[in-house]
Amino acid sequence: MIGARNNNLVNRELSWLEFNQRVLDEGSQGGHPLLEQLKFLAITASNLDEFFMVRVGGLQGLSKKKPRRKDASGMTATEQLEAIGDRVRKMVQDQYLFFSGTLEPALAKAGVRRVDHTSLTVRQQQVLDRLVENEIYPILTPMAVTAEQECPLLPGNSLCLCVRLSDEQRGAARFAWIPFGPTGHRFLTLPSDGGYEYILLEDVVVRSLERFFPGEEVLECVPFRITRNADLSVREDAAADLLSDMQEVLDARKASHCVRLEISDGVSEKTRSFLTEKLTVTDENVQLMPGPLGLADFMQLTDLPGFDTLQDKPWPAVGLPELNSHKSLFEVLAEKDLLLCHPFESFDPVTRLVEEAAEDPDVLAIKQTLYRTSRDSPIVEALGRAAENGKHVTVIVELKARFDEASNITQARNLEQSGAQVIYGIHGLKTHAKVCIVVRREPRGIQRYVHFGTGNYNENTSRLYTDISYLTCDEELGSDATSFFNTITGYSQPLAFRRIEAAPIGLRERLLELIGNEAERKRQGQDARILAKMNSLVDPAIIEALYQASQAGVRIELNVRGICCLRPGVEGLSENITVTSIVDRFLEHSRVLYFHQGGSGRVFISSADWMPRNLDRRIELLVPIDDPEAAARLLLLLETCMADDIKGRRIQADGGYVAPAPVGDSSAERRSQRVLYEAVRRALKRSRESRREVFVPHRAPKPDSTGT
Amino acid sequence: MANPSLTDNSEQHPDRYDSIPPLTRPVAVIDVGSTSIRMAIAEINGIGGIRHLETLSREVDLGRDTFTRGGIRRATTEGCVTVLQSYRQLLEEYGISQADQVRVVATSAVREAENRLSFLDRIYVATGFEIEAIDEAEVNRVTYLGVQPLLEQHPTLSTAQSIITEVGGGSTEVLLVQSGDVIFSNTYRLGSQRLRETLEAYRAPQPKVIEIMRAQVRRIMEQVAREAPDEQRPEVIVLGSDVRFAATQLVPDWDRNGMVSINVEQLETFSESILEQSINDLVRRFHLSFPDAGTVGPALLTIVELARTFQRDHLFICNVNLRDGLLRELAAGDTWSDEFARQVFRSAIDLGRRCGFDEPHAQHVAELSSQLFSKLQESHQLEPRYGMLLQTAALLHEIGQFVGSTSLHKHSLYLIQHSDLFGLSSTDMLLAGLVARYHRGAAPKPTHRGYAGLDREHRTAVAKLAAILRLAKAFDESRSQRVQEITCLPMDGKLVMTVSGLEDVSLEQMALNQAGKLFEQIFGLPVLLRPDPSESSLE
Repeated sequence: MIGARNNNLVNRELSWLEFNQRVLDEGSQGGHPLLEQLKFLAITASNLDEFFMVRVGGLQGLSKKKPRRKDASGMTATEQLEAIGDRVRKMVQDQYLFFSGTLEPALAKAGVRRVDHTSLTVRQQQVLDRLVENEIYPILTPMAVTAEQECPLLPGNSLCLCVRLSDEQRGAARFAWIPFGPTGHRFLTLPSDGGYEYILLEDVVVRSLERFFPGEEVLECVPFRITRNADLSVREDAAADLLSDMQEVLDARKASHCVRLEISDGVSEKTRSFLTEKLTVTDENVQLMPGPLGLADFMQLTDLPGFDTLQDKPWPAVGLPELNSHKSLFEVLAEKDLLLCHPFESFDPVTRLVEEAAEDPDVLAIKQTLYRTSRDSPIVEALGRAAENGKHVTVIVELKARFDEASNITQARNLEQSGAQVIYGIHGLKTHAKVCIVVRREPRGIQRYVHFGTGNYNENTSRLYTDISYLTCDEELGSDATSFFNTITGYSQPLAFRRIEAAPIGLRERLLELIGNEAERKRQGQDARILAKMNSLVDPAIIEALYQASQAGVRIELNVRGICCLRPGVEGLSENITVTSIVDRFLEHSRVLYFHQGGSGRVFISSADWMPRNLDRRIELLVPIDDPEAAARLLLLLETCMADDIKGRRIQADGGYVAPAPVGDSSAERRSQRVLYEAVRRALKRSRESRREVFVPHRAPKPDSTGT
Repeated sequence: MANPSLTDNSEQHPDRYDSIPPLTRPVAVIDVGSTSIRMAIAEINGIGGIRHLETLSREVDLGRDTFTRGGIRRATTEGCVTVLQSYRQLLEEYGISQADQVRVVATSAVREAENRLSFLDRIYVATGFEIEAIDEAEVNRVTYLGVQPLLEQHPTLSTAQSIITEVGGGSTEVLLVQSGDVIFSNTYRLGSQRLRETLEAYRAPQPKVIEIMRAQVRRIMEQVAREAPDEQRPEVIVLGSDVRFAATQLVPDWDRNGMVSINVEQLETFSESILEQSINDLVRRFHLSFPDAGTVGPALLTIVELARTFQRDHLFICNVNLRDGLLRELAAGDTWSDEFARQVFRSAIDLGRRCGFDEPHAQHVAELSSQLFSKLQESHQLEPRYGMLLQTAALLHEIGQFVGSTSLHKHSLYLIQHSDLFGLSSTDMLLAGLVARYHRGAAPKPTHRGYAGLDREHRTAVAKLAAILRLAKAFDESRSQRVQEITCLPMDGKLVMTVSGLEDVSLEQMALNQAGKLFEQIFGLPVLLRPDPSESSLE
């Protein structure tokens, strides 16, 4: 049982760890190609890194400041940290068991081999010698570290070697650290007679220690890695200049306290205690790793060229038949709304909306939110171009998007230089809503083209995350989007919306109302049903409303990818609620909701997860999809996800996962991501076929009536 | 071509040509109120159609300043500058830059501020917006324009006698209408913000505050009941954001397009619950802005008392505001609609009757004035709205008789200027009063009171209109309304006028000899009245 036994809520940290275990299990048992398995493993490692940086750091602080305070699941910070410690140790064990016991041998057999420094061929040794001399030795710098000196500043989440050297003069050992820093070259390719052979940088350095410490006796050399607390943010109430203060936070993060120390197992007691002391880490925050540290780095290997059979077959995104190159997107949207299911359908139309707007002489203004975007984002480039072309461009760049702050600061500055009006987020709130408005002057009057999304304006992640895009020129939605933008840019106070709802203004209330209405309908004898898909379900008030609805008899099917604090299927509490979680080749990311409303049915898309932070401290949107065709597609999407018993797992009352009992036709495809991908491909094919004009045969020329 | 350039765009999109002027025109109206500055951006299509594009609202402290300190603080002025500058920026996005595309009005909080002029100047210098501090009558007139279409559509309200009211920050407007006619209109110094500010100065405990507030509202309501003729127990139609908020809470499925009927008892219970909660609670619970949270309770209390005064158990709420009226006016062009002019004349006739005027004569002079105004358009070149002022003046030119025959023209000016004529701003009333004043006696002189303060444009207009009024009056010298149709023809440096159907026009000729002097002085044309040639040829 995760969380206190008498509590109706699962602890969110432990729920998250269960999700990470699910990702690991999917990697080890999901039947994926080997390099994809490695990808799943690397994701779990990178997830854990972030978990320690963001969550554990905060909890450690809380356990000191407010030791008695309990969270919604009834656990104190110390209790949570203990439970996290136990769970993580088990997970790390599983990670290395999978990596060393199964994956590495299988990869080696398939031709991807890690070589250690003891089994190098002569040719490989020669190559490495040259490499060390020319490239590694000049870059890496050992630092002598003594107990008396101040601890050198080590970057978080990067590898470092701790070398213990014999010091005959003092009769004791001395220590030196070789930090790797952000070299980006941990995997060094070796010449081989077949397949791909590589060696890890730490192994190469271990092999060449004599070059670094000539004439000295090396007693021990172990890799270690620290994770720093990243739960630091700008005190906005005191921030005069958010841009420069955010830069300071980024600097502060480099030196924040160490929340986790990973050391290669087999480390001597002497070295271990030296490290813990020097880095001021307590014993419970030290992890001994039975294999290479920083498994997240192995993500670099998963794109290995030449090993297609070890990778997923690509599912190229399907383009929209409506969007041929002769027609402007504005013309298409004037005829019909577009609903895109990424990554099955291409993100291009969204990029194209901004690109066309940048060049179109009738476009007056573009307004857009940016949360996480790619480094060379074509959207950002188009926004800059639009501003240079004299359009009024307003961009809300969220400087507080964690870990993307640095890239967002650069983009914001570039956009400003192009002449765009850049707003650095909203005081006290993160702008997480994804919306873009293009205002265009047309003969019939001003038209507003709007894109609402569940995912970021990032064409890279749009290939990996399942998300929804909705493009429309609906009058009311356009007006609402404009009002919303005026509100978040400070042009206006919040005014009542016609159709959409926004957090933190009224989104929570609207959700509670929608859930409450279903319960009331059921009590009055109507059919009632709720389908909802999201990444996380944490908010206690929403969970309570769902419990109430379940008790009223409402059928509730949830699809929650990650954290789920709701306990489903508990007699008298939640027996009508089922929760499915899908982990597959694409990261489930879309937020889609369906409320039965007595049969009329209403579908929404949203940028918000059902978490207090989303509903109270972020700017989020809930957008109704009233176009019948689009709404029907989304309902089908929800039902497909709920029915996935291949990659879907049922969450249990105790927060754990089990495979659901297979239902229905065993031959039918029920892996939801495949079903959805095949559906868009079929739709494209159908559309192409129906677009073929009536065949026009070339007939024989008519005989000339004049007879000549 | 992947990236069509500006020049080849029309080839790419043959259905779009920049050369075709857009059928629609973006416009904006801004209302500088007691608690907030609100802007509506819309498109108008040249035939009166309006399409709303954006609505914005930002809090300001104008009401608090004016109603407690008498003037607007510097910080508040700068706050208004910031808001208006940001609005200006948004207007640029729509290409709204011409003065005739924007109308900015301010209501009681600015109008009553001692430092009104320096406030208006500062705004003009910093933002380029010329704010019109409109008076109560203008607010009533414009609001009525906004409500009118809703009334016309409603099955019962289109004919019933109805009170239209809005509780603003500084004042409460009350209009009594029936079948599209405005029977009575007045503005009372009772506003939600004003109530709140006055009571805060008392520092009374909360339950006491509600009692004091209620007593204060009741006092004004007694005055309303005394003044508004209410034989028919009128329906009550309420406008304003406070009551709209109450309606959305009491009738959650109201679509906000039409009118919604709400039960007064329910509203009373709701207003009491609102008054019992602190402003902080209201903000947290209902996501209201702080100023709105402060005014909603007093406003609802006022509405409940008003409904009780007129013995209604339900009232209608509609989503119309001053900006709707302003937009309608922009959409209709600068001219007053016929319907609106009718309302003004009706109100003038009411005033005339109260003063015991010679109604057939007054109406006939007004009719003849209107005829002459349009026939002499080329000579006077005045905008059509001056025609309405002329007719109003013609209707009321003799009401001074009510005070005394000596200097009756001067009494007329005084009475008109201080009347509650519907729809006329104070400037309009002064202009109409002056035209009436100059229907006889001396020609306008720069030393005359009232006339002296006018700007050049208004001074000329008054002189021209008075000259025409004198002619019109001369044509009904017989007070028998025998002159119906007049023709005017400038000929050989004279204005030759003929009257159809009348052979003997000597009485009118005599009158015109006297009355035409001002006309000659202003327009440089002596007036000559000839008998109808067709009548003489019959002989």
